[in-house]
Amino acid sequence: MIDFNTDETTTLWKRWVLNARNTPDREAIVHWIGGEEAVRWTFKSMLDTARKFSVMIKKMGIKEGEVCAIIIRHNPFFYPLYLGISRTGALPAVLAYPNPRLHPDKFRQGIEGMSHRSGLDYILTERELEPLIRPLIDNSESTIKAVYFPLEWDLDEEFNEKDDKEIESFSDLIKPTSPALLQHSSGTTGLQKPVVLSHRAILNHVKFYGESIKLSENDKIASWLPLYHDMGLIAAFHLPLACGITSVQISPFEWVIAPVLLLDAITKEKATMCYLPNFAYNILAEKIDEDELNEISLESLRLVVNCSEPVRDESHKKFIGKFKKYGLNMSALAACYAMAETTYAITQTEPGKEIKVVHVDRQELANGIVKQAENNSITRTCVSSGKLIEQCEVMIVDDNRNEVVEGLVGEIAVKSGSMFDGYRNYPEKTAEVVSNGWYFTGDYGFNFENEFFIIGRKKDIIIVAGKNLYPEDIEDTVNVVEGIIPGRIIAFGEEDHSMGTELVSVVAETKFEDEKERNRLRLNIIKAGMCIDVNIHKVYLVPARWLIKSSAGKPSRKANKERLTSGTDPLVWSR
Amino acid sequence: MITNELKNVILKQLNLDEFEMTDETVAPDVPGWDSLNHINIIVAVEEFFKVRFKSMEVLKLKNVGDLQRLVDAKLNK
Repeated sequence: MIDFNTDETTTLWKRWVLNARNTPDREAIVHWIGGEEAVRWTFKSMLDTARKFSVMIKKMGIKEGEVCAIIIRHNPFFYPLYLGISRTGALPAVLAYPNPRLHPDKFRQGIEGMSHRSGLDYILTERELEPLIRPLIDNSESTIKAVYFPLEWDLDEEFNEKDDKEIESFSDLIKPTSPALLQHSSGTTGLQKPVVLSHRAILNHVKFYGESIKLSENDKIASWLPLYHDMGLIAAFHLPLACGITSVQISPFEWVIAPVLLLDAITKEKATMCYLPNFAYNILAEKIDEDELNEISLESLRLVVNCSEPVRDESHKKFIGKFKKYGLNMSALAACYAMAETTYAITQTEPGKEIKVVHVDRQELANGIVKQAENNSITRTCVSSGKLIEQCEVMIVDDNRNEVVEGLVGEIAVKSGSMFDGYRNYPEKTAEVVSNGWYFTGDYGFNFENEFFIIGRKKDIIIVAGKNLYPEDIEDTVNVVEGIIPGRIIAFGEEDHSMGTELVSVVAETKFEDEKERNRLRLNIIKAGMCIDVNIHKVYLVPARWLIKSSAGKPSRKANKERLTSGTDPLVWSR
Repeated sequence: MITNELKNVILKQLNLDEFEMTDETVAPDVPGWDSLNHINIIVAVEEFFKVRFKSMEVLKLKNVGDLQRLVDAKLNK
């Protein structure tokens, strides 16, 4: 196991330098490209290039503490650019590259919202996005000072040793408590919550989380996860980079089209670990033809960690059922509970041990009581997310934030040695969720024999393929579609068992009664969702005054979802 | 030129009645055709035409015209 000493290096850059010194020729990143030769960065070659990027960053006038949003597709120069920004004391913030279906105005609104909230100072992107982003810079109210295109920089031409030395001296002075990066916790457009993490928080987390998974120098992580997501950024990028092990990075866009790429990378690189949101288990198990698996071997895998979505037992069963004959060990299945606000993980199942599953009475669980299922029970199978990792605490609380006894379901509150300091420029949101050092997650769960089980959410967030969506975003966008009675709409997530994830459904009140009009309205609702890059899977149309209101006078998501899914109301039209 | 057969398989998978498709139509143009649905559409096309695509072939597809040409090639048209 790696003996990670947090006193040895106090910032991320110093840690990377140490790794480059100790193991210069070890591969840091294998940049995987479907059907092509991978690009391989050793720790030394990546650090050398990162130094050159940092000289350019300085030349552009970017200063310590300023936020550099990186909006770049899968590109081998992403990694040294990220490291180079960190070396100067500026904060890298990885943002998603816009999907072509996202309306340009919505993309700009999202960036603008983030710039005000997160204080984005610079955008580092590809030339292709210039027409979209330039108007933001020209807007006098924008916090964004400039847009740069780092993939076009002539790094060798611009490099000079004087600047390099100055940056190194400066970098030496960066404090462990200084902010190291900014990530956004969730949300679709303007609702993202900016989380700033210090060098100390990340390095502490690497140490204690690494211990919980018994990370060793022989490990190698394969990942297709986007780096704007905490699981991709912390578990599959920062963790291996700080520990001096290799990570194989696959494009998320390519993976979703050709899921076999991950298995191919694991086989060829002999990867030992990967992190997956639950839906990926279903995709890998069910959407790859056996013909494509002839040369696949998963014998090297010792951990496949399920995170970012509720862990579903049937997804694990499908996965092991399919890949056992390709060498996958049952005990490699693992899970963890994690969030951006605590850098990443709070709990982790024990490596090498089969993941714990409990069968509880579904009805009792709905009433907040954890009772083992009996013969006549309707059963719900809950999968453990593991035990607490070092420096983390969990408290299960009731609606008044008082701790409940074991055996009861409640909201999960967490504490961590790698906790965030609050949402950046968002004190009111921080005050809502942080109290006496506890972060109230909004997730529901229970403790059973010292393992934690996450079973639902207090908030109405919809998790589609590991991506958190706020129903408010969808409702606001769809609300303006002609034919919907304004304000009489709700969005919610519906479980899709075949995909192993939730899909978005919308219920809207309308006066349309004609089949043709309803079909046209449905299409327009789906198109409205497309503008914010949300795929609305199912549309329910109901007559005026059908939706049940909450005590606040707004349509209730929970009550209406229950009404829809529990009965067959002839007034409901759906497709 | 997109055949009615291919168009209908795609529309059925997306639960759509009608949507104009040309060779140049790309997934983000079509309601419901997102990255998660893409793989379902590919599987539906394989099943309907009784063909098998390799992942690398699917990865290279840029638009519906490319998909049509791939189907045609598999069927030796």
